[in-house]
Amino acid sequence: MASGPDTKPTLTPAQIQRHFLLRRLHSLTGLVPIGVFLVVHLVTNSSLAWGRFALRGKGEGLTVAEGGVKYFQHEVTFINESVPHLLLIEITLWVSIAFHSILGVVYATSGKSNLQRYPHQDNWRYTLQRISGYVGILFIFYHVATLRWGWTFLIPEGTKWSHSFSASTLAAAMQGSTEGFTIFGVAVSVLYMVGVTALVFHFANGLWTAAITWGITISAKAQKRWGIACAGLGAGLMLAGWSSLIATMTLDYDEAHLIERQMFIEKYGEAEYEAYVEQKGIETADPQPEQSTGSGGGE
Amino acid sequence: MIASQETASKGQHIRIRIKRSDGPGKPSYWQAFDVPREPGANIISCLQWIAAHPVTVDGEKTTPVVWDSGCLEEVCGACTMLINGGVRQSCSALISDIAPNDGDEITLEPMSKFPVIRDLWVDRQRLFDSLKRVQAWVPIDGSYSLGAGPKESPDKQGTRYTLSTCMSCGCCLEACPQYNLEEDESQWPTSFIGAAAISQARLFNEHETGKQLKRERLDALMGPGGVSDCGNAQNCVKVCPKEIPLTESISAMGRATTIHAITSWFRR
Repeated sequence: MASGPDTKPTLTPAQIQRHFLLRRLHSLTGLVPIGVFLVVHLVTNSSLAWGRFALRGKGEGLTVAEGGVKYFQHEVTFINESVPHLLLIEITLWVSIAFHSILGVVYATSGKSNLQRYPHQDNWRYTLQRISGYVGILFIFYHVATLRWGWTFLIPEGTKWSHSFSASTLAAAMQGSTEGFTIFGVAVSVLYMVGVTALVFHFANGLWTAAITWGITISAKAQKRWGIACAGLGAGLMLAGWSSLIATMTLDYDEAHLIERQMFIEKYGEAEYEAYVEQKGIETADPQPEQSTGSGGGE
Repeated sequence: MIASQETASKGQHIRIRIKRSDGPGKPSYWQAFDVPREPGANIISCLQWIAAHPVTVDGEKTTPVVWDSGCLEEVCGACTMLINGGVRQSCSALISDIAPNDGDEITLEPMSKFPVIRDLWVDRQRLFDSLKRVQAWVPIDGSYSLGAGPKESPDKQGTRYTLSTCMSCGCCLEACPQYNLEEDESQWPTSFIGAAAISQARLFNEHETGKQLKRERLDALMGPGGVSDCGNAQNCVKVCPKEIPLTESISAMGRATTIHAITSWFRR
């Protein structure tokens, strides 16, 4: 047998520490801020499905879909107008996602999946973790570019998302038009379903592996118990994600716009509304004749 | 099992297909051999028969098949190879278990993560180098007697006993998606070290005298190719013939390196 070279590592302590730091930061950014944001984001979105029940007294006379729009719009307005340092939070997220993505691709390409020979459940998750990472990068890019940065050329019919008309413009972006599903809308919706599923899996499984990486779950039993907890969290997030997707895909643009219109007018008045939809190019819907603008509208 | 070995009838054969190669870097090719069934046969005894009768099923005379082996009782790890696609020791692979019927076929391949020397014989030097990388020994060399060592607790002895049964066979590395064939020896010190050496680092860090080198071992495991390069596929623990809790060792060293990194950052 060939005698090996001197295997004392020729690396400097700084190189060793940097490698370790990058690995641990990669793990950490997946949990905070990205993972925490994912949970908040999906729970907020799911109010499109269950918001009617959170409105309590204020939701009377509204359908489940209408109540969802109202509560979702309420939350989006809160985030955009009341959360401090919103841009700083966003930049932190973008930097973290870019860091986690770039290092993730570097790390993922250092391995060679061997599912065919070792088709264990853990090995499946090893492979899926990498695939879901790639899918997630593409999805997040599309999602943020279209809905946040306003790259409307990537959206069918160029529907621009507006945080004051959050549910209706989101439904139009996902369905492909303000009139219901188009063929492009089906493609966008499928992308959302695949993307959300991939990212929820990636987070839940990443939470499980992070506990091994950091040395929190050492015994095989502890790893199994934590695995059940992560699967439970993943199932809950999957439910939140899918229910918000289904609520958005089944939402009627006009119906949603009218509720958002009423909320906008209650807050800023009719003239502001006209100016806003004109400036943003938001397609309006005609209010039903019997619909009033509410008791507090005349202030 | 013994009964089935004794009743193995005369005239029965097993067919063994072997992935061969004539030397380092040479292309591989397959040859099949029919081997008479013998009571108590294992893969090694079949390979011995082939060495004595190197004629393929096509009647072609060929060179004897080369393999590596040592103890023949599954404690040295030398005869590890892929048997029907699964990695294990060939000495403990009994024909009556893996090919119970007349004409059953068995495939043999060399391990894919180490350079092939010839046929089924591979060079596991990178694995032994990885043990040097984490200084997997107790430092007691010196010019005078050091006297009795510190007391060992039965609890830790229990943990260590299982870890100490590692025979450096390489099964865990063969199954690992993060550990891949690296022919360039200069890359070995920074390529993924694998479960075996990580577990050995834990073994010696748990030893009251061995822990004198604890920091050096953790430094080695923190660098490129160290414990943080593990991808948690957990194949290692499933193929380990000694049932060593390798994934527990990986997590334990994950914890140790985390603490070591923080404390050494404040110590500098």
